[in-house]
Amino acid sequence: MFLAIREIRHSKLHSGLIVAIIALVGYLIFMLLGLMLGLAKENTAAIEQWHTQTVVLSKGANLSLSQSLIKQADLPTLKKGDSLVGQSPVVISATGKHAHKQSAQLIGLKQSQPLAKTVVITSGHRSRNANQLVLSTNLQAKGYRLSDKVRFAGSTKTYTVVGFASGAMLNMTPVIYGDLSAWQGLKGNQFAASAIFSTRKFSLTTASLKAYPVNRFVAKLPGYAAQNKTFAMMIAFLMVIAMVIIAVFLTILTMQKLPAYAVLRAQGITAATLSRAAVAQAFLLMGIGSLLSLGVTFLTTLALPTTMPFLFSWPLALAISAGLIVLGMVSALVPVRLIRRLQPLDAMS
Amino acid sequence: MEAIELHRVGKVYGKGVSKVTALHDVSFSAPAGQLSLVVGPSGSGKSTFLTIAGGLQTPTSGQVLIDGHDPATMTAKQRDHLRLTTLGFVLQSYNLHPSLTVADQFTLVDRVKKEGNLSKQELATLLAELGIADLIDKYPGQLSGGQRQRVAIARALYPNPTIVLADEPTAALDRPRVAVVGQLMQDLAKKYGKAVVVVTHDQRLTPFADRIARIEDGRLTMEK
Ligand SMILES: Nc1ncnc2c1ncn2[C@@H]1O[C@H](COP(=O)(O)OP(=O)(O)OP(=O)(O)O)[C@@H](O)[C@H]1O
Ligand SMILES: [Mg+2]
Repeated sequence: MFLAIREIRHSKLHSGLIVAIIALVGYLIFMLLGLMLGLAKENTAAIEQWHTQTVVLSKGANLSLSQSLIKQADLPTLKKGDSLVGQSPVVISATGKHAHKQSAQLIGLKQSQPLAKTVVITSGHRSRNANQLVLSTNLQAKGYRLSDKVRFAGSTKTYTVVGFASGAMLNMTPVIYGDLSAWQGLKGNQFAASAIFSTRKFSLTTASLKAYPVNRFVAKLPGYAAQNKTFAMMIAFLMVIAMVIIAVFLTILTMQKLPAYAVLRAQGITAATLSRAAVAQAFLLMGIGSLLSLGVTFLTTLALPTTMPFLFSWPLALAISAGLIVLGMVSALVPVRLIRRLQPLDAMS
Repeated sequence: MEAIELHRVGKVYGKGVSKVTALHDVSFSAPAGQLSLVVGPSGSGKSTFLTIAGGLQTPTSGQVLIDGHDPATMTAKQRDHLRLTTLGFVLQSYNLHPSLTVADQFTLVDRVKKEGNLSKQELATLLAELGIADLIDKYPGQLSGGQRQRVAIARALYPNPTIVLADEPTAALDRPRVAVVGQLMQDLAKKYGKAVVVVTHDQRLTPFADRIARIEDGRLTMEK
């Protein structure tokens, strides 16, 4: 540590720059981490809000809500806590005026079932009959208004907009809440729903259906796993970049000091002592850099608007910092190799 | 037993056309309590001689004994330890660690060798004698060549070694400083009973020597 601290202290400018770079990379890592967790939460927020434990889908649907269809004949007896959900992509248009055609996801719910009560209304009211719709506020921004008459492409039936629900999105598309019968109007009356969302464990007797624990369903949400994987990859890459920066920096620093190290070796100072100094420097540079970036990230979280999909996990961030420090120490193996190859005799030249 | 003994030592660098015989059949011994001077022109083999005598490299033929130990039969770790505890090297390229102040150069020794180093008082006296006492907080980069050389001498003596090996310790020094260093080397031998070997082409050091050997083209002859 003595040598490490002296070396850092003596090359204040260089060490400072490296710490700054590490801090910036660390900051980027933590912002990505926050976005990753925030977006993941946004994906699952609705389902968590519903207290869903089990999702029942048709067996051939490969865990995809949009591929699932449950026939009336296959429908098991429903209990308290079970909700039928019909999902279908639709194109919505307002009859005879301003609002443009929009792609949306129709979610059909039974008003008597628990799921329907979780829809958060920002203006207007919940739909009270089969002819009423509640639209995502995104559609409000696109020009749809309360008491507009709207229809779905391929159907002549008209509906009335009676409310708006905040930020409701599914697969990055705005959601339209309607009665289950509206969904049946599109899909056919022989179908009961796309899925059953339930707050209990489900045992099924019907061979064509399958019950999944909610976390398996979430993992298979379109884009959910891919999105998490992309973020994780970016974070891993940035960690490797930080490691390479430290490796290059320490290697250059060590190369400059090799003549002095050779003299120290000749004077009986072991390669282990010198190697420890390099590893300790990596530890200090990465440690200080990570701490700085944690601090800046903390300040950023205070300043971020709450609407941003940003969720910060201190345990994860600390684990990443620890990972950075370990990687930094591993990267010190490059200069350590130089030190180990150095012979005391090299002091002669 | 002498502090350092070389028996019929030969050293050959390289192979084939680039082969250089740096030492021919050199026998030499350095007793404790005496300042032995090895003089010779540039390229005569002085540094080769000193690094072999200090166990930094092994001879091609012959045998070396340092304090009775043959470095060729020791592990690298044992040789490190021997150099740390017993030998004080003043090397021709006295590269001081650039990130350490003069004071830190000694602190580093304290870190790796906890006991037997000079006391604060002894170090202060040594630094004063060498005329570098007020440079204690300077980095090597802030020192002149001669100042650096004197720091390197102090650094080599700080662990209080029983054997002192110096390669051109006065190359960068003016006449008064040469006298100081010559006197210092003589005192180390006379007052503290160390075996001191200095290789140099600096004739100004000869008055201080107890024994003088001459190296020419790798052949060593005793003169005094
Ligand atoms: N590592 C080496 N490889 C090949 N030849 C070497 C090596 N080291 C020294 N020599 C050769 O051995 C001979 C003796 O070199 P050495 O360095 O011992 O001389 P020196 O007396 O110390 O010279 P100087 O006074 O210039 O320091 C020279 O001819 C030199 O070129
Ligand atoms: Mg030489």
